[in-house]
Amino acid sequence: MANRFGFKDLGIGIGLRTVHYPHILSKWPKIDWFEVLSENYMDTGGRPLHVLDQVAERYPVALHGVSMSIGSTDPLNREHLSKLKTLADRTRAHWVSDHLCWTGVLGRNTHDLLPMPYTEEALTHTIKRAKQVCEILERPLILENPSSYVEFADSSMPEWVFLARLAEEANCGLLLDVNNVYVSSFNHRFDPVEYINAIPADRVVQYHLAGHTNKGTHIIDTHSDHAIDEVWKLFALSCERTGPVATLYEWDDDIPAFDVVLKEARKAAAFRNAGKARRHTRTAASGPARLSVGAA
Amino acid sequence: MQAVVVHPGTTERALRASAAATHLKPGRLETVLLPSRTLTAAQRIAIYQEMYPLRMRDALASDYPGLEHFLGEKFRDFVTAYTNAHPSRGYTLNRLGDHVPSFLGRQGRLKPRAFLGNLARLELAITEAFDSREASVLQAKEFEGIPPAQLGRSRLVTVPSLRLVELSWNAGEYLDTVRDENHRHPKPGKSQSFVAIVRRKYSVYRFPVSQAAFLVLSDLKEGRTIEFVVQRALKRRGSRRASADDFSEWFRAWTAEGLFSGVRKPVKK
Repeated sequence: MANRFGFKDLGIGIGLRTVHYPHILSKWPKIDWFEVLSENYMDTGGRPLHVLDQVAERYPVALHGVSMSIGSTDPLNREHLSKLKTLADRTRAHWVSDHLCWTGVLGRNTHDLLPMPYTEEALTHTIKRAKQVCEILERPLILENPSSYVEFADSSMPEWVFLARLAEEANCGLLLDVNNVYVSSFNHRFDPVEYINAIPADRVVQYHLAGHTNKGTHIIDTHSDHAIDEVWKLFALSCERTGPVATLYEWDDDIPAFDVVLKEARKAAAFRNAGKARRHTRTAASGPARLSVGAA
Repeated sequence: MQAVVVHPGTTERALRASAAATHLKPGRLETVLLPSRTLTAAQRIAIYQEMYPLRMRDALASDYPGLEHFLGEKFRDFVTAYTNAHPSRGYTLNRLGDHVPSFLGRQGRLKPRAFLGNLARLELAITEAFDSREASVLQAKEFEGIPPAQLGRSRLVTVPSLRLVELSWNAGEYLDTVRDENHRHPKPGKSQSFVAIVRRKYSVYRFPVSQAAFLVLSDLKEGRTIEFVVQRALKRRGSRRASADDFSEWFRAWTAEGLFSGVRKPVKK
């Protein structure tokens, strides 16, 4: 199944990180694509942008942001969006993504991906803003499900329903972070399989995979380790529904050598292909994919 | 939620502080945020609250490694005080530290205040040079189309990365030793120096200049004509004064250092 936006399956990529610049610039390693943290390249004319230009000449790139604050009640930051569009054009980015979250209100930015209350009012508000962003960027907005540590008493629907309705009504694509699904399912005690099965498969443009830190009472989305088996299983399950989709392994803390990150990312190949094979043998009437994972 | 996340004290204190209590009476948190099977609502929001100062600290330490090194354990309290006074209001953390030099100037408790202010100004200038717009470097052929009679009324255009910093304390010497823990770090002391900072081939360089050269570069950076700059420099007194011989040496060195991006001919009247 191709996504409805016609975005390519870019294969398996990793995030472009400063510590890997020397390796990338000297080896030009074999990798399908890079994801670029948008805000790190918007306000610099220095080495980071110079490196990005070289990378974008040789590899497909997609932009991934952390400051759109789509759920905030503050006005959209037009300067941010304008610079984002310029960067997307400059790098010929395949798509532009950000998070379903808010980062601050009253002009302040916490630089965290804060969760939203999943209410009808918040949904209407976010749909309106997502449509505005699409118009300004002149391309579909791709939104990622967040990992979260709190739930709002006012929420009237689960996150997966909110996300699916938002995507449908604002015509957004989805960046499905499978690790985030697992982290939030542990923290909030929901069934991650139900989440995966509720996502409109033809809107999934990209996957994120990552490691996390289990504190016993809760899980923190640290991006500092290998992904655990349950996350890989969820990924395979989702691939059955979406088919192979651009896949990105995130490693942002205690970042190891480039080849270690790439090796972890390439584990995704087997799951992508297995998912593809199973999908071909499943009949259309067989219903949603099923899996039992420990977090449920 | 934001009022609690950015509060520097305990979660309990944050919930009682006016910023949060205006929106939610103390003791009513669980009417807004749900507890989990293992954590109370306060413990859950504390996860975000604990991460906030770490993120601010990382961002400021990245731009001010010398300041972090000098302050040591006090750097954490400095970050708290600074981000309370100057919270991030932009979409990027790259600009979070822009007010550090002026903020330090108002902090009586951190000493020696003048040394810290010098160190912060130097580190901010380095960050600005790192992020500045890229520009081509002046080529000798650009002078060819300018008649000698017009040269004096022309202006040398400095590259966008050029920063000029006057220091009254040994902040540059201290910064030189920060990345090497085996190095002996100099004690803060008064020492006047003049520093030019420039980015070449995407690396930032800083080098000392004389006071006379510093003043000439400052005038050129402000867009004064070559004639004006030279005449003014020759009229200054003492260590601020340049001699006629200095200019050819300076311009040769500065051109080689990549301090200029072009030359603007005089506008025809």
